[in-house]
This record gives sequence, C-alpha cells and structure tokens, in this order.
Amino acid sequence: MDRLLSRKRTILLFILPTFILLTVIIVIPIFFSLHYSTLKWDGFSKEVFVGFENYKNLFVNNTDGFIQAVINSLVLALISVGIQIPFSLVLALTLARGIRGERFFRTVYFIPVIISTVVIGQLWMKIYNNDYGMLNTVLKAIGLGSLTDAWLADTKTALASVFVAMVWQYVGYYMLLLYAGAKSISPDIYEAARIDGAGEATMAFHITIPLMKPILAVCIVFAVTGSFKAFDLIYVMTNGGPLHSTEVPTTLMYTTIFTRYQYGYGSAMAIFIIIECLVFTLVINKLFSKNAVE
Amino acid sequence: MKFRRVVAGALCASVLLTMASACSTPQSSSNSKGNTQTTSASSEKVTLTFWNNYTNDSQHVMANIIKQWNTDNPNIQIDANSTENTAYKTKIKTAIAGNSAPDIIYSWAGGFTKTFVDAGKILPVDEYLNDGTKGKLLNGALTNITFNGKVYGLTYNQQAGALYVNNDLFKQNGVKIPTTFDELLTAVKTFKAKGITPMCVGEKDEWPGMWYYDMIALRSAGASACLDALNKKASYDQAPFTDAAQKLEDLVKAGAFSKDVLSVTRDDAVAQFTQGKIPMYFGGNFDAQLIDESLKGKVSAVKFPMISGGKGVSTEYLGGSADALLVSANTKYKDQAVKAIKYLAEKFSSAMYLTGGGLPEWKNDSLDQSKVDPLSKQIMDNIVNGSTGSVPAWDLYLTGDDAQTHHDLVQKLFGTTITPADYSKQMQQKINKS
Repeated sequence: MDRLLSRKRTILLFILPTFILLTVIIVIPIFFSLHYSTLKWDGFSKEVFVGFENYKNLFVNNTDGFIQAVINSLVLALISVGIQIPFSLVLALTLARGIRGERFFRTVYFIPVIISTVVIGQLWMKIYNNDYGMLNTVLKAIGLGSLTDAWLADTKTALASVFVAMVWQYVGYYMLLLYAGAKSISPDIYEAARIDGAGEATMAFHITIPLMKPILAVCIVFAVTGSFKAFDLIYVMTNGGPLHSTEVPTTLMYTTIFTRYQYGYGSAMAIFIIIECLVFTLVINKLFSKNAVE
Repeated sequence: MKFRRVVAGALCASVLLTMASACSTPQSSSNSKGNTQTTSASSEKVTLTFWNNYTNDSQHVMANIIKQWNTDNPNIQIDANSTENTAYKTKIKTAIAGNSAPDIIYSWAGGFTKTFVDAGKILPVDEYLNDGTKGKLLNGALTNITFNGKVYGLTYNQQAGALYVNNDLFKQNGVKIPTTFDELLTAVKTFKAKGITPMCVGEKDEWPGMWYYDMIALRSAGASACLDALNKKASYDQAPFTDAAQKLEDLVKAGAFSKDVLSVTRDDAVAQFTQGKIPMYFGGNFDAQLIDESLKGKVSAVKFPMISGGKGVSTEYLGGSADALLVSANTKYKDQAVKAIKYLAEKFSSAMYLTGGGLPEWKNDSLDQSKVDPLSKQIMDNIVNGSTGSVPAWDLYLTGDDAQTHHDLVQKLFGTTITPADYSKQMQQKINKS
C-alpha cells in the first residue's frame, strides 16, 4: 500500500475526481463571477464592460447600504468568536469531563445543527411573535410587560434577535468539534497533573485549552467565514428587513441579483465576500501558527 | 517535483480554459439570435414545450385543459412543465437569457415581460389576432402585454384590488363601511378605540403594502396621471403622489396596522383576516377564494374609499392584466404555438374565474354565473365591470430594480422613517431620472 501511494501517478489518479469536481463546481463559477463583476448587466440585455466601477460603487457613495451590511456581518463574526465559541468551549469541557448524561446532553446540544434552517427560522419567528410569541408571554408573566416588543418588526431589535437565533443554532456544532478535540487529549497528562496537585481549572487552562489550539483555530475560521457567508436564517426570518436593518452582504447580494437584476454589481459583492473570507482565514491561521511556536 | 509541475500545469490550463470560456459567452448569446428561421410544417407531429408556475391548486384546472388540448390535437402535443413560483422566475429568466426558452412561456404581463421583449426574445403576435380573437377579449385585456405598439402574447387572468370588509365586525361595533378616506380614518379610530386592530397587511413581503400605496395614489392622482409617471412621462414629485404618501402615513399613525406590521408576511396577514379578527383588508382578487372559504357570506369586496379633492374617479381600479402566455421568438413552430396559446388563454380565463383563482380577460357570458366564486363575482361586478381605467400594481409595471426601489420606499412609509415629501422626491430621483 505504501509503495502504491508513493507513485506519483497513483496520487494524481486519486485526487483527480475531487479536483475536477471542485474545479467545475467552485473554481470555474468563481471566475465567471469575477468576469460578471466587471460588467453592467441585467442578465438578458447586452453586457457593458465597466471595469472596476461595480467595486467602486460598493464603497464610494454607496446607496444600497452595503457598508452597513458588511458592518453587520463583522458584528456577527465578533459575537460568534467572542460569545458563541467560548460558550461552546465551556459546554465541551464540561461534557468531556465525563459528567452524568454526557451522551444525552451531547445529542441534545447537537439537535439544532441537524434541524433544517427553515424550521429553526419558523421556530424563532414564533418565539418572537408580537401577539402570541413565547418571549413576550414570558416577559408579561414575570411582570416585565413593559419590555415586550415586536422583536423582528422593530429596526432596533431585529438584528440582535436574528443573531441570537444564529448563535444558538451553531453552538452545538462547535461544541461537538471542541468536545472531540478535548476527548483526544491523552488521559495520562491529566493523571500526571493531578499527581502534581493541579485543580480542574488549572488543568483546563494549562493543559486542555493549549492542546486544543489547532481545533480552536478551525472553529474560529469556521465561525468567522460562516458569519460572512451567513444567509439562510436571515433570509427566512427577516429577509434583510425591516427597512434593511438586518441586511448582511449575502442577503443584499441576493436581492441585487434576483430582484434588482444587477448581475454585475451583485457579482462584485460575491467576489468581495470570497476575498473577505480568504483574507480572514489567512490572518487567523497566521495568528495561531505564531502562537503555536511558543 | 515532476508531480508538482503536472498539477501546476493542470491548474494553469483550467484557469486559461475558464477565462476563455468566460470571455466567449457574451458573443455566443448575441450571435444565436439571428439564425432562428422557422421551419413549420403543420402536418407533421410537433411537440411544444410549455413552462409555467402552476404549482398551487389552480394547476389542477390548467392540467385538465392541457390534457384536453392534447387529446383534441394529436399533431400538436403540449409538454407542460411546472415550477414553483419564485423558482420559476429565476428559471425562466435564465432560460430566456441563454436562448433555451420553451416554445410557450408563462409570464407576468407588464415589466416582467418587457425585459424579455426588449431583448428581442418574444414573438409579436399581432398578425395572428385578426381572426376574431380580439373580439373575444374583454376591454383592456391586451394593454399590459402591448409594448411599442405591438402585442406580445395573450393574457388570461387579471388582478383587481378590493377592500375586503368583515360585515360582522362592522355591524357589531356600529361602524359604517367607509366610502371616503375620512370615513376610513374614522372607522380606523373607532375600531382602534375598541381594541380591534383595524387593518392588516403583510409588509414583510413588501409588495402587499405597496398595493395600499398604489391604490391610494390612484384615488389621489387618477389613472392617467399614475400611468404617465410610470411611463416616465411625468414626475412622481407631484402633490397628488405626496398626498397619497401622506394619507398612508395618516393611516399608519392612526394605528390602522398592528405594531409588528413590518414582520408580518402576506400569508399571515390573510390568515389574520380570515380568522375574523380584523375588520378591513385591502388585497387582491387572488385572496378572494381563501377569504370566501373561511368567512362564507360575512365578507364583502368593496371599492376603495374616495379621497375628497382627489383626481381619481370611483370607476378606476388597481389591477389589470396579470398572467400571460407568450411565444418564444426562437420557437420552431410559431403557428402551432400561437394557436395553442389562443386556446389555452381562453380556457384558462374561464376556468380560473369559475374557481375563484382569477378574474377573466375573455368574454364569459356563456359561463353559468351562479357557479362563479361569489367574492370574485362581487369584485367583477362592483369594481371591474364598467370601469373607466385601471393601473397595474406598480411593481408589475416597473422593472426589477425600479420595482424594488418602489417597494423599499413604501416600506419606509410604513415604518415612518421617511416624510411624504422625501418619498416623492426619491421616487422621482431614483426611478424616473436614474
């Protein structure tokens, strides 16, 4: 087997199917988008080449709120990294310690990840409903009736309301990744630490978390790029509204292309999202590899 | 090392290929337009493809009519393919742009069709209509499918906006059904004072709220002024349009709609009305069937209230032709396809009227009027028949980008984040002058 795998031709043969698939499905469309992004085109009529005009319109004298959308997605990324992952980490470390009902909780936390996003969206829309929503009902029941709100209809609360649902949905996903990471650390190390008199907290901060750095890096990359690409839950819950207050680059791109018929301008947004994701991935990996040397 | 070079080579090749193919697409699409000669021979058996969005209950009726055609015309078979509404929009746009459109196309009359017409993808059918077809159509049936003086298809269903009123709620609370805008505001305030939300609208979906504005604008400015502005012949930045915006804002500020109006979908809004909780709902005839099913006999469809000092007259309505059948300019079987859409459009028109799915575009005196959906018949009798003019919902008239801009601006009126004066100014700036 080793000899077989060392033959270059065999390696090529094995990676070729995936390589072709990725090229056709991902690489080629990206180049198409790159080409479209230099056009003024409605999808039907003759294309007009406009160079970098579309990219300029994204940021200079922007009228459709793209900058606000980018800021919204950055806020989401910040919340994901600052709240979602630490929360998942706490859950993962607690479960990995081998508490009672470990498997049960692991399954329960993971359930939102496997439920269809549309279902999750509907669920949260019902929770936030102004008339019969659970949130308002609970607030009224505990005497905080003055705090009730039409959560998804109010431009001041809609964005936060959607973000809560998004963060909630994927907590289980990161928890499972981190849980697997924590479980793969050899028990010998803990044993040695315990003999040296280390407590639970000391072991978590000085053994578990440092050894989980690679998987933490993966989680952070997923969380950040996931925030930039986030679309489905927002589309279901608010569709970017009310009054564009929950718009993120992807929802804006969708309306730009499919209801405004601005293929060129929408493609420029798509390319921006790709570049944004690439840059952040590189930066995060760089940061973590630097730390790993210490 | 050699291996690495192979991979690098492959990568470069793929990049070059991609760029080459990407660059070549535009030319190929513009070339193929010219070489579409018809080779029609009526004796041989042909199959026409027909794409549509008939995925709801109305599809049943359509499917039967198509089946009937296929039985009667063994030499011209129709191969129909239905796609869900929203997906259909994307699908048909892509297909037409890529010159792979079906022979017969379902489309929305007005702006949606205009895009295809402007790109030269749709067959003008004028020369086929002088065989008495025009005489079978109702007045105005071809207005929204005529571009630059040519007819580009046949319509079979029209829309009309109607104010649905829940008679029970009006009676119980001693409120008069409004015929003027002032009476409407009084009704709103009376219901509001009794703890009843007076009206509903699915403003999350944007277009239902636009129906309210467009209707008020029709009463305020009149049909011809609305059409002039929509045709870019007149400005939106005029007193009647600003007044209409002001009137809508008055409604919002009087508490006509619930607090969460911006997150209510159209389906939710109709559901609220059909549960009998809401006394008034301005919607389309397409809501009639559902409303009639749930609140049988309790609801009337009446004209939208008049505005004192407004230029509109009570015989004008929001709506007009909506659904149309087109023939692709690239079809190989022009004669057969036009023959088919004549048959289908006429049959669809009657069938949808009977089931309450739509209002007819073709003369329907031969139909058993007692079998027609009662609310649809009310709309036809109270609002459409004897009308002196109609304006389509503006998003059917304006094309993609402009329609979305109009949606957004009206939503701002609902959210009271724009003044009526700014609304008119921005409509003019963004849509007519852009």
